Amino acid sequence: MPKCKINGKEVDVPQGTTIIEAFKASGQEIAHYCWHPGLSVAGVCRLCMVQIEGQPKLQIACNTEVKEGMVINNNSETVKDTVRWGLDFHLINHPLDCPICDQAGECGLQEQYMQFGKYDPEMAEHKVKKCKVVDLGPTVVLDSERCILCSRCVRFTDEVSKTHELGIFERGDRSEIGTFDGKPLNNKYSLNTVDICPVGALTSKDFRFRQRVWYLKEHNTICTGCSTGCNVKVYYNEEGCWRVKPRYNPDINGYWMCDEGRDIYKFINKKNRLQEITMTEKGVSKVFQAEELLPQLGLELKNAVQKNPESVALILTGQYSCEEYQSLLNLMVKSWGLKNVFHWVNHPESMEQFDGLLLRGDKNPNTKGLLNELDLLSLTQTWKDLEEKLHRNLIKHLIVAGPENLATFSDVKEKLKLFSSANKLIWLSAGIFEGVSSVCSQVVQIPTKTFFEKEGSYINHKGMKQRVTPGVEIVKSALSLCEFVEGLHHDNKGAHFQDMDSALVDTKLKEPLKENFFTATRGSL
Amino acid sequence: MEVKLLTEHYHRPEYRKLSGYKLYGGYQVLAKALQMEPKTIIEEVKASGLRGRGGAGFPTGMKWGFLPSNHEPRYLLCNADEGEPGTFKDRLMMEKAPHQLIEGMIISAYAIGSQKSYIYVRGEYFDSIRILREALAEAYKAGLLGKKILGSNFSHDMDVYSGAGAYICGEETGMISSLEGLKGQPKLKPPFPALQGYLKKPTIVNNVETLAAVVPIVRDGAKVYRQNGTEKSPGTKLFSVSGNVVRPGNYEVPLGLPLKELIFGICGGLKPGRKLKAVIPGGSSAPVLTAEEALRAHLDYESLAQMGTMLGSGAVIVIDDSHCMVDLLGVIAHFYHHESCGQCTPCREGTGWIDKILHSILSGQGRLQDIHLLERVSEHMMGKTICALSDAAAMPVLSFVNKFREEFEFYVREGRSKVRGVSHAQM
Repeated sequence: MPKCKINGKEVDVPQGTTIIEAFKASGQEIAHYCWHPGLSVAGVCRLCMVQIEGQPKLQIACNTEVKEGMVINNNSETVKDTVRWGLDFHLINHPLDCPICDQAGECGLQEQYMQFGKYDPEMAEHKVKKCKVVDLGPTVVLDSERCILCSRCVRFTDEVSKTHELGIFERGDRSEIGTFDGKPLNNKYSLNTVDICPVGALTSKDFRFRQRVWYLKEHNTICTGCSTGCNVKVYYNEEGCWRVKPRYNPDINGYWMCDEGRDIYKFINKKNRLQEITMTEKGVSKVFQAEELLPQLGLELKNAVQKNPESVALILTGQYSCEEYQSLLNLMVKSWGLKNVFHWVNHPESMEQFDGLLLRGDKNPNTKGLLNELDLLSLTQTWKDLEEKLHRNLIKHLIVAGPENLATFSDVKEKLKLFSSANKLIWLSAGIFEGVSSVCSQVVQIPTKTFFEKEGSYINHKGMKQRVTPGVEIVKSALSLCEFVEGLHHDNKGAHFQDMDSALVDTKLKEPLKENFFTATRGSL
Repeated sequence: MEVKLLTEHYHRPEYRKLSGYKLYGGYQVLAKALQMEPKTIIEEVKASGLRGRGGAGFPTGMKWGFLPSNHEPRYLLCNADEGEPGTFKDRLMMEKAPHQLIEGMIISAYAIGSQKSYIYVRGEYFDSIRILREALAEAYKAGLLGKKILGSNFSHDMDVYSGAGAYICGEETGMISSLEGLKGQPKLKPPFPALQGYLKKPTIVNNVETLAAVVPIVRDGAKVYRQNGTEKSPGTKLFSVSGNVVRPGNYEVPLGLPLKELIFGICGGLKPGRKLKAVIPGGSSAPVLTAEEALRAHLDYESLAQMGTMLGSGAVIVIDDSHCMVDLLGVIAHFYHHESCGQCTPCREGTGWIDKILHSILSGQGRLQDIHLLERVSEHMMGKTICALSDAAAMPVLSFVNKFREEFEFYVREGRSKVRGVSHAQM
């Protein structure tokens, strides 16, 4: 454990730590662009210069290991002057088109200039002209003039996605990021390049020109797109959600997330959501308030179960939180005595797939949590049993805790056809699916809250339990399953937000590492 | 006075061929070396005080000593990517005496225990490449390369690799990247090539002249080699003299020779009526010397360093009073702007900035503060990057502006050259 002194402060670091890591560990600020903790060291921006006592030249902190007894500073006039000039070199050919740049407000150049720069520009000559709109692929657009050639994106495609689409072409100040002929930037992780781009050179086609980032608030949560459970932030304002970016969690997703997961903000937004509790009978729909419909519905279901347990079935998808499953099962199985509980697997064929990085074939956030609950209650009926019971017209009442994210359910239509033999369908879902209302003679549709609006925990493929907290209300009348259960039966206290008693690994949502001003304000460094 | 230690037989056309080379003692040193312990050869080279002839002047024996003492495969690379403007000595050596280089390389490879070496030749040197390839074929045929060289237990393979025209590939790690098939860009150090070079294996990179000089060192011993040159810069060196002298060309002289003697004695001085104005002693990146400084300069590493410049690759560029220093700096700055690899920001942006400022001045658009700005930009480019190209671009600017400030100020004030009377745009 070498000890060193950074700007007068004693710091103890593990063997092999670089100076820049020691700066971060000791909470001190250091300018940098090309260094990224999730990528190899490039050492090209030359901003993380430090003075080491006994060495005549300034050294870059990112490629210098801390040695016992080193005395390091980056607050001497020499270093400050070097960093100021380093920034100036970055800016002389930068177009300074912040007013039309999507990165404005979270731009490394803006922020480091305010922190370390503050000089008057001296270049009187014309700037280098480069292409401002380069279509790199289906997700990302490049503005070559804004690019500071830090090579983070190139290293990302080389080292993380291992797809090698990007390269730096030409040399000197004519250098430009680009793709090879006929091989666009098209991989499942391409948008990470936008996150790690410290400037406005790489922008997401999905997000560019849509919002000013300083009007957005962020909410820390997890991605429910698959069973990996990447830690993410959702950016939102009063109009809705706009983008998703990864948060650092070394145990789950590191610094990255997949492009698919970035789309999860879309189904949260109001226009894609079921808005009201409705009951449809003979083609006529009526809107209800929860208080008026649910107690009556609860009574009806309870009576039906107690009269004939075989006539009621509950279908669960892996889309809900552990607490919701508990609450629902407590009421229906434990207190009413329901036997028919089935697990709707949205894509059984690819359930076990894994791409080696983050993406999993199980497109549900909480399959593990659901299976766990079903196990505890020894509910072992299979989908085949359900099909058989439906074909034999045994089931009259069908309660379906359906998809939250409809995009991951390709089989809804076919499943609804199967459900049509029941008399009454109680369809709980966040999204709108055409034709649900006419499946059975009586259909109750109840809008559910998404992961963004409720509190609860999810167990990912590894068995790690992660808790999410509510962001903002998006659909006023939406209910979580817990609230649905409370509505059905007032006495039932459910397992509302109580921790499950299980031996599973419990990891709290990790706060992002305390990074310096620049990395902390960036989406994901 | 010239001392032809390496270039003794360069005037003989047959010296290019193996048969001719052998007539004058060729490959006898190799036979001798193969009888020696590799360690002894390294010691001998260390004792000779031979310093890298490519530009940096790093002691060769010490460089070899950095190799790890394990049995990992290791590479010897010959840096023949002669790109420093003003330098043309390696080309002469490769074209006139390819076997001298090959012999020096085999001996060096034997000393450091390398099984494989490459000669990385500047891509524009078509003749050198062809001649070297022919020579290699001859050497293989004669059993001087390949398995069990001259009946010894030492096997070695050698190849010629053609560069593709980038100055930066003369930088040793840039060359390694290029040889690996990557974009020719210098690598971050540490790790240094001696530990992790070509294909991440221990690698030694030496200049053509350095490797050729190993032959006389092993032949005569360090003591004899040290009879030439100075205490700290022993031996002879080839100087490529260009510019305004009567007899430009390559000359092999002992290190420490007064620059005055090289210009006015060996090269026949300047044209009648012309006055010496400045000398760049070590290639375009070396800080320029004024006439007064040049007349008291000696051609060795230390004394030139003392004068704030460097011996570099030994490219002496002589400038007489018919030339405008602003013009010349414009040419140099354009070169470095064109050749910067673009990895490190200070160099990528700085070389372009300097080029543009000089362009403005040369077209009569300069501002007086530009002269000071040139200096400040250059100062902040020095010592801040992965390789020395940034320094190489900055040093001439600083020295030109410092020593010939009056010419720059005149150009800015009057919008025309003090020497030529017109601006670049008016030409």
